[in-house]
Amino acid sequence: MLQAFSTWLHSTRLSWAVAGGIPWIWPLCETLHFMGLALLMGVVGVFDLRMLGMAKELPLGPLQRLMPWAVLGFTINLVTGFLFFTGDPFQYIHNIAFFFKLLFIALAGVNVILFYVTGLYRRVDGVGAGHDVPFPAKIAAAASLILWIGVMYWGRMLPFIGNAF
Amino acid sequence: MMQVLASLENSAFGTWVRESSSLLAYPTILFMHTVGLGFLVGLNAAIDLRMLGAAPRMPLAPLEKFYPIMWTAFWINALSGTALLIADATTKMTNPVFYIKMTFVTLAVVNMVIIRRRVFRRPSLDLTPLSGSTRVLAMTSLFFWAGAITAGRLMAYFGPVSGAPGLQNRIP
Repeated sequence: MLQAFSTWLHSTRLSWAVAGGIPWIWPLCETLHFMGLALLMGVVGVFDLRMLGMAKELPLGPLQRLMPWAVLGFTINLVTGFLFFTGDPFQYIHNIAFFFKLLFIALAGVNVILFYVTGLYRRVDGVGAGHDVPFPAKIAAAASLILWIGVMYWGRMLPFIGNAF
Repeated sequence: MMQVLASLENSAFGTWVRESSSLLAYPTILFMHTVGLGFLVGLNAAIDLRMLGAAPRMPLAPLEKFYPIMWTAFWINALSGTALLIADATTKMTNPVFYIKMTFVTLAVVNMVIIRRRVFRRPSLDLTPLSGSTRVLAMTSLFFWAGAITAGRLMAYFGPVSGAPGLQNRIP
């Protein structure tokens, strides 16, 4: 199934273009992938570190308005990441580091979803300058930082533990 | 000059970083360089975005608290970068793109210091609207960091081949 999908994907013109048919696409996507990484880590970092007690003078409600920029960073990386996969699916589908990278992204996603559906989002939204967030929010913040750093770890290990370039 | 670079590259440390099969060598150092990038550039970008008008009801002043983390990330990258440079001294130090990257990093770090002195130390910060020069500093910061990332990435594509054995520049 995955094998068949990868074979089809690899046969597309998009795959050919990304894999070097159009030589500047791959380095451009890599560059954008790092910019997206920085945008995501920076905004999520401010948010998580504030919830963990840094820069407590930041009110959480107005700070949450910065979140669309983290979503933009994530979206850039989702698109460029999909293009890498399209360019050479076979260096990823049997790659253990790639599996763990996707797992950590999924866990980070679950963490975000729980933050919203449990109502933690609304409780945090009302936390003003100088106040602590509820304890569960601190757990979510710590989990978020660990998971996103983990995503970077597995991404970096793609060529070393796995065999991607 | 080339001899100095070669002896650096062939030193015990350089050889270990480049050729050790341990994940603690090249892979972990490269990972540290990525984490440092994420926090250094990311926190700078978050501050820049606020200076450009994002999340306008959030006060700017408390963001100065993130400077120690940005400096920590900077030093992580200075050290990990030095290790990666020693491991591939003959190729990276003869690659013009490396010097373009260093120029952008220098400009970005100077810009970051200027923002702390000129924007965060202003007594009227968060009491009056942000000035035009504040916006310019935010835009130059984003530009310099984007330039540093781009040049860093393109070192793998232009100039002499370096990095893990077997790698090739994919743009001739």
